[in-house]
Amino acid sequence: MGPVGVRSAIAAGLIGFVGSLYLALVGLTERFADLELIGEQITLGRLLIVLPPLITGFVVSRPRVVAGERRVASLGQASAAGAFAGGVAGAVFGAAVAFAEWFGVDRIREVFITVSPTLIEFLTFEQGVAVGFVILTVLGLIAGGVGGALKAASSRVRRPIVVGASVTVLLGLLQRIIPVAMRQLDLDPSVLYLPSAGLTVPAAIVVFALAAGANVLWTRSGQQVRARFRATASEQPIVRTAVLLAILAIASTVPLLVGTVISEVLGTVMVFMLLGLGLNIVVGYAGLLDLGYVAFFAFGAYALALLTGATLNTTTGAAAPAFSLDLSFYLSVWIVAALAAGVGVLIGAPVLRLRGDYLAIVTLGLGEIVSILTQSRWLQPVVGGPQGMRGVTDAAIGDISFRPPQNFYYLALAFVMLAVFVSWRLSSSRVGRAWNAMREDEQIADAMGISTTKYKLLAFAMGGAIGAIGGALFAVKIGSLTPASFQILVSITALAVVVLGGLGSIPGVVVGALVLIGLPGLLREFEEYRQLIYGGTLVAIMVLRPQGLIPNVRRTRELHEEEVEQDAWARSAAQREEPYATVVVGDTVDEEERST
Amino acid sequence: MGRLERLPWRTIILVVLAVLILATIAIGAFRTLTEGAYSADAWRDFIILGLAQGAIYALVALGYTLVYGILRMINFAHGEVFMFGAFASYFFSAAYAESGFLDREPLLSLTILLVVAMATSAGVAMLLERVAYRPLRGAPRLVPLITAIGASLFLANTARGFFGSSPRGYRKPEVLEGSWTFLGGDVPKIRVVVLLTAALAVVALSLFVARTKTGRSMRAVAEDSEIASLMGVHVDGVIVTTFAIGGLLAGIAGVLYSMTFEQVNFFMGFQIGIAAFTAAVLGGIGSIAGAAIGGLSLGLLQALGPSLILTGYHIPSPFQLREAFTFLVLVLVLIFRPGGILGTGEAEKV
Repeated sequence: MGPVGVRSAIAAGLIGFVGSLYLALVGLTERFADLELIGEQITLGRLLIVLPPLITGFVVSRPRVVAGERRVASLGQASAAGAFAGGVAGAVFGAAVAFAEWFGVDRIREVFITVSPTLIEFLTFEQGVAVGFVILTVLGLIAGGVGGALKAASSRVRRPIVVGASVTVLLGLLQRIIPVAMRQLDLDPSVLYLPSAGLTVPAAIVVFALAAGANVLWTRSGQQVRARFRATASEQPIVRTAVLLAILAIASTVPLLVGTVISEVLGTVMVFMLLGLGLNIVVGYAGLLDLGYVAFFAFGAYALALLTGATLNTTTGAAAPAFSLDLSFYLSVWIVAALAAGVGVLIGAPVLRLRGDYLAIVTLGLGEIVSILTQSRWLQPVVGGPQGMRGVTDAAIGDISFRPPQNFYYLALAFVMLAVFVSWRLSSSRVGRAWNAMREDEQIADAMGISTTKYKLLAFAMGGAIGAIGGALFAVKIGSLTPASFQILVSITALAVVVLGGLGSIPGVVVGALVLIGLPGLLREFEEYRQLIYGGTLVAIMVLRPQGLIPNVRRTRELHEEEVEQDAWARSAAQREEPYATVVVGDTVDEEERST
Repeated sequence: MGRLERLPWRTIILVVLAVLILATIAIGAFRTLTEGAYSADAWRDFIILGLAQGAIYALVALGYTLVYGILRMINFAHGEVFMFGAFASYFFSAAYAESGFLDREPLLSLTILLVVAMATSAGVAMLLERVAYRPLRGAPRLVPLITAIGASLFLANTARGFFGSSPRGYRKPEVLEGSWTFLGGDVPKIRVVVLLTAALAVVALSLFVARTKTGRSMRAVAEDSEIASLMGVHVDGVIVTTFAIGGLLAGIAGVLYSMTFEQVNFFMGFQIGIAAFTAAVLGGIGSIAGAAIGGLSLGLLQALGPSLILTGYHIPSPFQLREAFTFLVLVLVLIFRPGGILGTGEAEKV
């Protein structure tokens, strides 16, 4: 196995086993057991059985430093090492399944509620533990071997395979959106998809081939295409405008194609995109970690409800709140945004001279105070307490109500575009550069004559205003408010959206919202694992790829500068240098995250 | 702005704010007391409840303080470390309750529960350090902080997946049911046990840090990790030890908390974590005595504050606002005295 020793392969195999065990115990494997991705055999659950040994095989064949010399495993060595490690992972997992069966599923179940006879059946492929053990071991061997081979293969081979596989799985996951859209376009979905399930096998092969082929082409000539596009775009601004218009056109036809249910999900995606854009200003641009963003969200929603004449829910019916106006949505939303900016300054002023982590805790606390207040009896006469409010305006223009999901999408799209525009203009303005300087080194920024207090407050105000608009739109979307919608999880979700895409990156926020809000929204199986996924995403991104999926260029440079400065960080990063350069590890990990 | 900046605006605003807050507290307390909403017995019960609750906060707060002292990072996921310890001991206590062992051998079974909880919490804390925090050593500040938030959510939901989302009832040994008569009133036994155990743990920790070689290395790393490593201290080892000790204390707290409130659930770590962090800041983060004092003060504030102050203003259900009160205390401490009770009173810059 070349540079990979037996002991380290066994250790890697055991870690792979822990991965499989975790997925099974936390309930993901069984939850997705029947989610067919490709054909009837390849389900997401089975993918989750294969993935840990695959990753084990991939990781174990990484180049190692032996006696000061960097040694790269050859293809054969890497596949052997990978297969060995994957086989260990599979075999130990199979043994664990057999042990569970022998020990008594019911007894284990008293502790781990997810261990059930169904799970055991699924893990043994309904063949009994002995055969199941063999199957799991063989699958582990194969997956690990493939992982090792992938790692050893040149990136020209690896990238198309990984991209092809990812796209195929993604299309499989989108089984509830693409067929609907195809039907709207008068296409027959059965070309691609089995009835109410994943891709057909031939379709999967075609998709894989197309995606892989596209990737090969892109690798070969993408650079030139991009360069040529940049050149033309800079000579003729009309090209850039055309591209923007095209994106806009696609964005605005989506709800017509996908129907009501998915438009509903898209509406939520838009609201969180707005929250992400707002938080991106605070965290990404100014570098202030705000964990109480839900405060602005709640403020926006409730303030809008009160300004537009919503009523309180009570046990006996509706009641007028202690304070209420009857303004139009289009006036109130700006009032709300302005008020929220003020609140941002008020919250920010006393705490801004504190260190970053204190700021995080204080904002977390303020966010919690707001969500406790929304459900308290004390403020019940104003915001309805636990029963909440109803009858929020539907922001109608003439006869067009914006409550129906497809219409709401357009309203939200308008505000998202506005927020994107503002963020984009801010990022390269004097203000944006001041934020950058402040984030990179506050004392130096101060010394250069930047009023850090002023710019911090400005970031808080801007972020607060955008977050409150998000809240206002949310109120319009659902029409009635209950405190359950305004919990700490909103803050963390918004943070995950920003972090996944990359701090300070606008396209990153868009992608983050689509992936983190859109995918779980489309697959209801994900619902109960949403928080687990968000938590896992935050950790995985920060440890593996702190600049995010679509990094902000300047921000990346900054992260790397600090790497050079701080050698411990640099050393650990250097070990991962190779996968970074090819982006493949990032992709597989994200794929894992997405599917877990 | 030039002219405005010469005026000490900040100081003026802070003084006005402080006067307003003190006035609010004084008026509220005065009105509550003159109206006689609660009897003397009720106040005594509040105080005992607050102290027992505070003792648990203190134990968890020590975990924050130790880690902060060494790594200068807030381990947000420490509340989940506590939760896992509580859950692990729950399974043993449930089994022992069923077999009758819990009531027959209360001392032995309590010891086992404590050991199980401490081992589990320490294990989770060490794993967390190894997987999530160690790769980030030396990374920009924001990075470990976001990781810690993610880890907290991830661990809480892992417990939800493993053990289910419904709360589970936690039995305590029969010996600890009921109360002792003490100072002319009834004091629930469990509260006394909680206070004594916590006090013992704090004393043991102080001795450990002050007297042992490992304790000395911990102090050295907290002072300056680079120089400590030049002096032959194994910094990574010390960091792991610190996480483990924090976990041990959190495990003890987990058992005590579960026995007091007689249930465990997957989200119990969050509130306790925040409260304990507040306690650590209140006392002065980085100091062991500070965590103990902060914990007890916060417990008392939580138990007395809402009833003493809010009742005076006739705010309905003041106890609903108890958590908000915690956060308010945190915010006010950070504004007025960021160094905490034992701290220097100076805001740490950068």
